Amino acid sequence: MNPAPNDPVLEVKGLHTHLGDQWLHRGLDFSIGRGEVVALIGGSGTGKSVLLRECIGLVRPSQGHVRLFGKNICDLSHSHLNQVRSRFGVLFQEGALFSSLSVAENVAAPLIEHTSLPARLRDEVVAMKIRLAGLPMEAADKRPSELSGGMKKRAALARALALEPELLFLDEPTSGLDPISAREFDHLLRVLCDSLGLTALMATHDLDTLWGMVDRVIVLHGGRVIADGPVDVVAELDHEWIRKYFSAHSGKR
Amino acid sequence: MSDHRPSLERTLTAAGCVLKLRGRWCIEHLEQIDRLLAETPTPHDCHVCVDAGKLVDIDSTGVMLLVNRLRAQGVVWPHVELVAFNEHQLTLIHLVANRLDARARPRSRRRALLPLLGRKATQWATGLVGHFAFFGHIVEGFYEVIRRPRLLRLRECTAQLEAVGPNALPIVGLMTLLIGVVFAFLLSVQVRKFGANIFIVDGVTIAIARELAPLLTAVLVAGRSGAAFTAQIGAMRVTEEIDAITTLGLSPVQVLVLPRLLAIIVALPLLTFVGDVMGVLGAAWVANAQLDITYYTFFERMKSVSPINMVLFGLYKTPVFAAAIALIACRNGFVVSRDARSVGEYTTRTVVQSIVAVILIDSAFAIAFPEITQ
Repeated sequence: MNPAPNDPVLEVKGLHTHLGDQWLHRGLDFSIGRGEVVALIGGSGTGKSVLLRECIGLVRPSQGHVRLFGKNICDLSHSHLNQVRSRFGVLFQEGALFSSLSVAENVAAPLIEHTSLPARLRDEVVAMKIRLAGLPMEAADKRPSELSGGMKKRAALARALALEPELLFLDEPTSGLDPISAREFDHLLRVLCDSLGLTALMATHDLDTLWGMVDRVIVLHGGRVIADGPVDVVAELDHEWIRKYFSAHSGKR
Repeated sequence: MSDHRPSLERTLTAAGCVLKLRGRWCIEHLEQIDRLLAETPTPHDCHVCVDAGKLVDIDSTGVMLLVNRLRAQGVVWPHVELVAFNEHQLTLIHLVANRLDARARPRSRRRALLPLLGRKATQWATGLVGHFAFFGHIVEGFYEVIRRPRLLRLRECTAQLEAVGPNALPIVGLMTLLIGVVFAFLLSVQVRKFGANIFIVDGVTIAIARELAPLLTAVLVAGRSGAAFTAQIGAMRVTEEIDAITTLGLSPVQVLVLPRLLAIIVALPLLTFVGDVMGVLGAAWVANAQLDITYYTFFERMKSVSPINMVLFGLYKTPVFAAAIALIACRNGFVVSRDARSVGEYTTRTVVQSIVAVILIDSAFAIAFPEITQ
């Protein structure tokens, strides 16, 4: 059932994306091994979110392929793709919680769809996930509109973790949070990734996230991967955009 | 696969109780794990040791059940000895056991009847108060506009008028024509039995001018424009546009409600008149084809049996219908809450409520003015 531990969980090969009337990606290659926490950085409009959407099978790349758990998701039928989808969780940028359901119902939704747990056990699992994401139990019966930005992200994380995924995709997990909540959320993610053995790929703009919790950084620029490695190595690279990116941070301090 | 099924073996020794976990303690086997733990009670007054020597895999739900069930049997969790777990599993167990501290009470999913009744009653009462308040706001806005006509947004009024009036012409024309045709056809079968062919004109014109055209047009407009009003205003509420209007120092009633109210009050009588004409035309065509009544005879007879007053009576009702539709539609738009389902729910409510209101108002008119020709 499980592939060999050193097989990559996610593999992107020769990926091209034609969007509008221009090439957004011109041949991306990278792979992510089990247990790695990888950040995807790049300027606005370099196609980070599109790349994430291609990895989770919402958008088809124009050329090349994406392999999740060793399966090429571009060739999979709808039902097989849904099987693969139950093995990863996605945290969308705005949380994308179902606004007409309470937090507990949001977390229960994937469990209802993909498992046949009796209601009593399901409630127990839902309560555990909500606590695991660092939310107080009082939040369980609230609607998403009654939550703050940070709590929304935590609720969305609880939903993304509901099915015990092996892989987590995160689109700007700390955007819209104040620095304190952002660091708390980073810490929570790191703890969860370590203890649940999660692999994570996140698109982010947050330099503190990069320095604080990420194993590896992939830099997208001009439709290609221009750097791929640990953050301290990437930060020292002699490339104009990378230099500017990392100095934008130190300049502020 | 079969050797991955979870199992649990309990050994009681002098030193204490050893639980041996086997297989995959993961979410897909959760029910089975729950049963295993229920079938294997653990004495709480001795040393408990959990041995993972044959464990294939454990995830957070498996840990949760283990922790919760053992705690429920009175085992103090930090005193449990964990044997042969790998490093990842140990961090996972400590994380889950920490998060699942005793503070988390199980939530009840049952709802008591009395609080539910009370909640519904207060909801209903506040809703009613809200309706009156909304009506007050409109009267207030209207008064302001009469004092300072510049406040009325003429462009918005005409845009709404176009959407409610001319854009609805094809459907209103077609529907009333069809109803005229059907009504005349069924009536022709009856009048022929009595040799009273010419009376088809009386029946058809009175029915169409007094009831069918006003009612049918109002129902169509309620479904078409009323629903649109609620959806537009509701979507603006969801995107906080109404708050933006208020912050700019404008009144949402003047900007959004009055133009729609005026547009529908002007458009509905006009649409109804078109409906009158189309219905009578359809009826004249059927009378001609079925009963050999020439168009000339039909319209001569119509002149004498349906005086202008009766047509006007049908038209007088329509501004009242229109006002009811606009009030219900706009009010429902304003109470939409900020979630995806709400807009649809209130749009449905608008259509139902405004059609009911139109029919109630129509019956009131029928009872108040029962004379057919005045």
